[in-house]
Amino acid sequence: MRDMLLEMARVSFAYPDGSAGLRDCSLAIRRGSRNALIGANGSGKTTLFLHTNGLLRPSQGELRYAGQAVNYSRHGLRDLRSKVGLVFQNPDRQLFSASVREDVSFGPLNQGLSEQEAAHRVDAALNAVGMEGLAHKPVQNLSFGQKKRVCIAGVLAMAPELLVLDEPMAGLDPAMQTELLAVLERLHASGMTILLATHDIEFAYRWADDIHLMKDGACVTSFPSAELANHADILAAARLSLPPVIALQQVLTASGALPELPPIRSSEDLLAHLEQPVAKRSSAHGR
Amino acid sequence: MLIEQCVYANRWRAVTPAAKGLLALGALVAAFIVASRPAVGLLLAVLVATVPVVGAGVRAGHYARIAWPPLSFLLIGGLSMLVAVDLQQGSINLHLQSQHEVFVVVARSCGALAALLLLVTTTPLTDLIALLRRMKTPELLLDIMVLCYRVLFVFSESVHDMQTAQAARLGYADARRSLHSLGSLAANLLAQVWQRSRGLHQAALARNNDGPLRFLAPTFAQAGRHTAFAAIAALALVAASLWLRSGV
Repeated sequence: MRDMLLEMARVSFAYPDGSAGLRDCSLAIRRGSRNALIGANGSGKTTLFLHTNGLLRPSQGELRYAGQAVNYSRHGLRDLRSKVGLVFQNPDRQLFSASVREDVSFGPLNQGLSEQEAAHRVDAALNAVGMEGLAHKPVQNLSFGQKKRVCIAGVLAMAPELLVLDEPMAGLDPAMQTELLAVLERLHASGMTILLATHDIEFAYRWADDIHLMKDGACVTSFPSAELANHADILAAARLSLPPVIALQQVLTASGALPELPPIRSSEDLLAHLEQPVAKRSSAHGR
Repeated sequence: MLIEQCVYANRWRAVTPAAKGLLALGALVAAFIVASRPAVGLLLAVLVATVPVVGAGVRAGHYARIAWPPLSFLLIGGLSMLVAVDLQQGSINLHLQSQHEVFVVVARSCGALAALLLLVTTTPLTDLIALLRRMKTPELLLDIMVLCYRVLFVFSESVHDMQTAQAARLGYADARRSLHSLGSLAANLLAQVWQRSRGLHQAALARNNDGPLRFLAPTFAQAGRHTAFAAIAALALVAASLWLRSGV
């Protein structure tokens, strides 16, 4: 049986103004997996994320964490928010203090940790995102990418099991995206479960273990990334197209330039396969 | 923002705010004591003003620009106390009999200003808030200070962006347009303040906050030594000012 960390069972939510945020949404996040949530603007990704952390409560349906229904009492929410760390899209929305170190200490101190333990967590979190050298910088003097990393550190310092990031790549240049990806890879390697929202289907295909698709507040489908090619029609309905690397692999396989291989997930991997001597290709495996 | 540049770039950045606060307090008390001799009071103000420039390495030009607005306000205030304008008779009279009192007030204010600037130009507000927290200032006040200080930068950036966007579309082409643009900027900002406050509340909840905003206090190396040194300097200043006053 798969070890599910977070499950949403037929969750619906309507905002006070009557607009639907989520409609009958079911979704499951496996422990230790990398998850990409894909959907157009206004499809309900942020609303779903606010549910994962207990900031919003379902009007209908149920949220389960580690198999247990979420308890919305003060104590229950405290527990959930210590385990599910939420990084907002806009860093200026999340950063409270004008000092990096102070802001990162905010979560651990709220958890009731001692100052000594909190200081230890802050150092470790700043280290994890490569910001240890800027710990005493004023937040207002940081670049957008650095602020984003401080936000992630602020959540990491709470030692969550599930890290939820709302469009972490938005507004970052390619170099900063690569750096952030390296941070996420290190966190995943350390056993953390990651759920992030993105518009970039190529990135989702390359990085994620599981892809979840949202449209108009509904969780349309979830599947392992490797099976993305089988869901072209659902993607098209959500006005998304398959990553070009899928079509390229199909054409190259049909023309005999590549042997039958498991799905190749990125242009770089495809190129690496093509550059291998012909004899080796058939024995090689795609990611 | 000039103050921000000074506080993060000066040599006393790593000195405990307690030491700087103590020194400023000493200078403030001395300014009050010695101002009965205005010339000595002004001399003390100048001396205290040189401390951040010479001691902490705050650039003299920056210091002058920071000090200028309150100083000019103070001088205008002093002049208005010296001079009385009689509109009915159309005459301007000099209150020479209260000249000494005016000089005392001006010297005292200059001394107090220099003492405050000593602290303000060398100490980041986050350090000052941490110091106030240690001094058991009510949490509510501290929370308001923390949030105000943080959102000051968020909103100044917003205002700058909106103003640039308006200017790019000729929003400030003439006086009428400018007034209209300024009005819509203020309205827009109000809506943003409302949204941001809700956003910050949610972000606080997301990180398990359910009461006062708690942060790790910054630590300072050699805090004890610096504080002791500042205490001695502050006491010396007060003692010197007492001695100078008794010499009237």
